[in-house]
Amino acid sequence: MAPAKSSNGGKDMYSVILPTFNERQNLPIITWLLNRTFSEQNLDWELVIVDDGSPDGTQEVAAQLVKAYSPHIQLRPRTGKLGLGTAYVHGLKYAKGNYIVIMDADFSHHPKFIPQMIQKMKEGDYDIVTGTRYAGDGGVYGWDLKRKLTSKGANIFADTVLRPGVSDLTGSFRLYKRAVLEKLFESTDARGFTMQMALAVTAKAKGYSIGEVPISFVDRVYGDSKLGGEEIVEYAKGVLQLWWSI
Amino acid sequence: MTRAQQTISLALLVTSLYLSLYLGLIPLPAVVQEDIIPVLPFWSLVTFGAWLLFRLGWGMLTFRDTPDAYAELMDEIKLAKADLRVKGVNVD
Repeated sequence: MAPAKSSNGGKDMYSVILPTFNERQNLPIITWLLNRTFSEQNLDWELVIVDDGSPDGTQEVAAQLVKAYSPHIQLRPRTGKLGLGTAYVHGLKYAKGNYIVIMDADFSHHPKFIPQMIQKMKEGDYDIVTGTRYAGDGGVYGWDLKRKLTSKGANIFADTVLRPGVSDLTGSFRLYKRAVLEKLFESTDARGFTMQMALAVTAKAKGYSIGEVPISFVDRVYGDSKLGGEEIVEYAKGVLQLWWSI
Repeated sequence: MTRAQQTISLALLVTSLYLSLYLGLIPLPAVVQEDIIPVLPFWSLVTFGAWLLFRLGWGMLTFRDTPDAYAELMDEIKLAKADLRVKGVNVD
């Protein structure tokens, strides 16, 4: 499916939507890395920061970044911790690009892989390209055995139940054609962190093509991980819900 | 067709096939009928469990650690902080 034209005079433009909550330390650096990557590749880009009322001063830093990297940055805050899924929908309203990058604001997703994803998308005319930690020379830094077991176990569980044809189902570093993402948001009710899985499985069910690029995932340089027992139960419920509905 | 529908249809198909064997609807040699058919479900379950465990273990063995990526990132963070301070952005 051919990409729609961006509201950028018809040229390709890449919009990165970044939901943030308490990312005061990470945000400037990830912005710097994005700026460097896109400038080196001579690509039109923008960053839409969707902050959920962070109490740690994330929005002040974001405002400084808007000035420093003008006109590439937009800050679109919300008043409370309304969650990841709705943050993407909110950000998409303001994004101008015809390609959308979804990624995390900590350094686990490195912008240097974005050009590889763009390349992959062009090569195969994929509707979606997702980063994978489990195939090719993808990998992780900073996980102990327990974390690796949990992650791989969760992946095998989802893979067995859903058979999605994607090696890293919970990965959230993806490049979408804008029209594809809009269509997926319309048809997926799932919000919360199981939304990433829901998007991939729905995409497969609707016949969209998904390409993969191996990425290195450097876990939590600053900040605490948001993964606990409760999240694991929610994850299992999410997988079973997807199994039932898609 | 949802994943659930696919799985359940396949399960029903396999179950009816198995039942037809179990109830002797298809003539089979005695050794197969008496020793193999009755334990087939349990054997399948155990084999499936073993397969999943194997995948998990294999995943652990082949899990790639990327210390180079970490080192590279640390350097980039230093560069970024210096540049950002010049541009008037608060960094720690």
